[in-house]
Amino acid sequence: MAITTDPHDQGRVVEAVAGHHETREQRHFKEHLAVWLFISGDAVFLLMELFYWFYLRALNTDGMWRGVACSKANPCTDGLGNPITHEIAKSTPWYTVSIAVLVVVAAAVIWGVERSAQRQSKRSVISGGAGIGLAVLVAAIVVQCYQFGVLPFTTIDGTYASTFEFFMGSTLAHLFLLTFIVTGLWARAGRGRYDGGHWYQVRIIRIFSVWLATSTCILAIVMIAFS
Amino acid sequence: MTTDLAPLLLEDTPIGPTAGGLYRRQNVYTGLAAGIFLGFVAWLVAHALWNSSNWGTDMVVTVTMVGWVIGFNLGVGTFNAPLRWMLGHDQTYDDELYAAGVGQGKKRYYKFCTDHKVVGTQYLVLVVVLFAIGGTLAMMMRTQLISPHSSFLSPNSYNAIVSIHGMCMIIATIIMVTGPFTNFVMPIMIGAKDMAFPRLNAMSFWVVVSAIPPLLATFVLGGVDAGWTTYAPLSVQAPPAMDAFSITMIVFVISVTVSGVNTIVTIFTMRAKGMTLGRLPIFTWASLVGAALSIYAMPALLIAFTSMITDRVVGTSFFVAGQGGTGWLWENAFWIFGHPEVYIILIPPVGAMLEVASTFARKPLFGYKVTVAGFVAISALSIMVWAHHMFTTGWAPELAGPFMVTTEIISIPTGIIFLCLIGTLWKGRIWTRLPMYFVYLFLWNFIIGGVTGIYLSDTPADEYFHGDMFVTAHFHYTLLGGAMIAATAGLCYWFPKITGKMLNERIGKTAFWMIAVGIQVTYFGMFWEGFEGMPRRVAFYDPIFQHANDMATGGAYLLMLGWIVLLYAGINSLRQGPDAPANPWHSKTLEWKVPTPVPLANFLVDPVVTSDPYGYGEPEPVGPLVMPAPDPDRELVPNLSSDNPLVRGDD
Repeated sequence: MAITTDPHDQGRVVEAVAGHHETREQRHFKEHLAVWLFISGDAVFLLMELFYWFYLRALNTDGMWRGVACSKANPCTDGLGNPITHEIAKSTPWYTVSIAVLVVVAAAVIWGVERSAQRQSKRSVISGGAGIGLAVLVAAIVVQCYQFGVLPFTTIDGTYASTFEFFMGSTLAHLFLLTFIVTGLWARAGRGRYDGGHWYQVRIIRIFSVWLATSTCILAIVMIAFS
Repeated sequence: MTTDLAPLLLEDTPIGPTAGGLYRRQNVYTGLAAGIFLGFVAWLVAHALWNSSNWGTDMVVTVTMVGWVIGFNLGVGTFNAPLRWMLGHDQTYDDELYAAGVGQGKKRYYKFCTDHKVVGTQYLVLVVVLFAIGGTLAMMMRTQLISPHSSFLSPNSYNAIVSIHGMCMIIATIIMVTGPFTNFVMPIMIGAKDMAFPRLNAMSFWVVVSAIPPLLATFVLGGVDAGWTTYAPLSVQAPPAMDAFSITMIVFVISVTVSGVNTIVTIFTMRAKGMTLGRLPIFTWASLVGAALSIYAMPALLIAFTSMITDRVVGTSFFVAGQGGTGWLWENAFWIFGHPEVYIILIPPVGAMLEVASTFARKPLFGYKVTVAGFVAISALSIMVWAHHMFTTGWAPELAGPFMVTTEIISIPTGIIFLCLIGTLWKGRIWTRLPMYFVYLFLWNFIIGGVTGIYLSDTPADEYFHGDMFVTAHFHYTLLGGAMIAATAGLCYWFPKITGKMLNERIGKTAFWMIAVGIQVTYFGMFWEGFEGMPRRVAFYDPIFQHANDMATGGAYLLMLGWIVLLYAGINSLRQGPDAPANPWHSKTLEWKVPTPVPLANFLVDPVVTSDPYGYGEPEPVGPLVMPAPDPDRELVPNLSSDNPLVRGDD
């Protein structure tokens, strides 16, 4: 492999540790690609979650997905020969819908924050928008935690209950992650890190938040429509 | 986009305050202290809250292990930069220099260091430690199998050792090339100054370090007696060790995913001018494909072990047949990860070995584009073959045919890569140094591993061989005889660049012959056991298998001795070996164009690539500058001043 030096850089000695010799454009391109790769991995995780749901639902081992096929009049049995005499109640959809709506709202707010930063709005506008997004996410976390407490079933009530609660846990973990990031967005906006058109990092956060809103909606649709 | 960003490039961001004293005192010891402390606190809290519940013990173990992992990483400094970012602070240039280990000598190897060469070296040591642990466990297994009813180990201990040997080796082999070589060598190969995200790079290492103690803790928590595949329902019913095992795997997934993203971004965004994709060294392509495959495969492992933990700790029933779950779900999730994982292990070492072959054959790589296409084809096909591990389970018998076909098709690109290797060596003026010995050994071993794999992909043959020692011999020929030997070729090849010392080839060749013979004796012995019908994972066996086991055990001792001798060769060379010149193999790739030891930012001037990486037989072009000798006064970082606008940090 033959090498030479750039005529424009001739004699310019490399000065720094990695990262500090780069332009912002280079750094942002890297971060942009990285966030899409993380989203790709998260998308595979989402697909695996859907596989869990639909596989267990289709398999419906001994009628224990929700016990739909079983009743006192027509009992069926579990794998140990014990009769299953009840149908597990569905969770009310409103909490699930509320969480999805809150995450969508948070993503929309973060989108607005990006626009503000791009338009070089005042620091208070950018920071305020980020604060609203953070508050919405905290609300979503509160609703998600509350939903755990009001479910009409527990984890041991078969595979529907297990998968439902697993999806809730997954959503909660993602919400914590986004909340961490948006807390950073808010704190940094308050310190003026995004003043003067420094909006690119906000775009990366927006991309992730939109993905999170999308995946939350997909999970919500599955949890409500395919129980 | 360029237009949008243009104004940004003209502006400087104010530099924030430098991180304080605690930040500068963190190292592996503070990590250990914080990990033990937080683990203990977590144990106390979990014990108080949940010990009386149905799943109390599992919950206590899980929470304790999570406490350990978080504590260790807090203590070692993994979370410093993210937490500072969240609070609105940036790392200053001085912070970056400190994190890169400037002026810290050997201490930087014991701390969170962002220099990719330090991370690569740390990975190398970790891999050696993991192989030592896994190898010791393997020898304990073979010692148990010296006689049909040996009392060296109890059956439970034997099963636990089988499981941890397996997963320890899988972890080690997944990171054995992507850890040391992709980190140390690949950025230099493409003309980069570091990985794209140096802190994520260091994070991927320390996170995986934190995963190892939980893996070893399994031995005192009752042992994982479900095999490395931890099939349900065995794993659901296993002792609390299974919780620690699951935490290990979840943490490992985080590390590999982060590392994979970093590798891909580095290759796509950090290449030197002129380093087009068509000029990428083949090892870089192999690293790229392996990283991409890991981003696909690792989430499957993550959900598998996360749901395993919830089954054990909070009573979900994904894998509990009595509550509507099924072991098939585990097998699907595990093998959706598990078969791509074979190629995550295999492709990077093969790439490394192809570098060796081209260098020592003094020839361009034969079929460069075909080889790259082969890597891509293998990785694409590898996500469509997972159910061949489930032929005998009764899951979806109608899919056995399609999965048999996809599995057999994967041998085509594999064979093509093999032909490219032979084509590279063909009629070459081969310089037979130690790395080449291991290339030859790979050729022999991988033929056997590959051909026996075709038998196992065939459903009728698999019905017979499944679950016996034939399978064990096959995948050891593939992973140890193939991937590990290829990685060893890479290690011998890059040893001078990494350590600055020439490897003692006399001792190395002694080790080579012991390893080469040891592999054949050990695994032919296992093939023999398999043909006779001896099942895997048994502590006792019928005396009719005695002779085959004698052969396998004898070979295993020789093999282990060979690795020890190779390790000795490395240590001996580090202490007494001659200093390595910058390019002892007269290789053409960029990592050999930089001085040894490699400076902090790798290149003293930015290189511009003007030809492909394998121009053997062509005269070196007369260019204006290849690479100046390092100036001792400017060796690492010439200008430490934060006032220098070239070196300021930004957001």
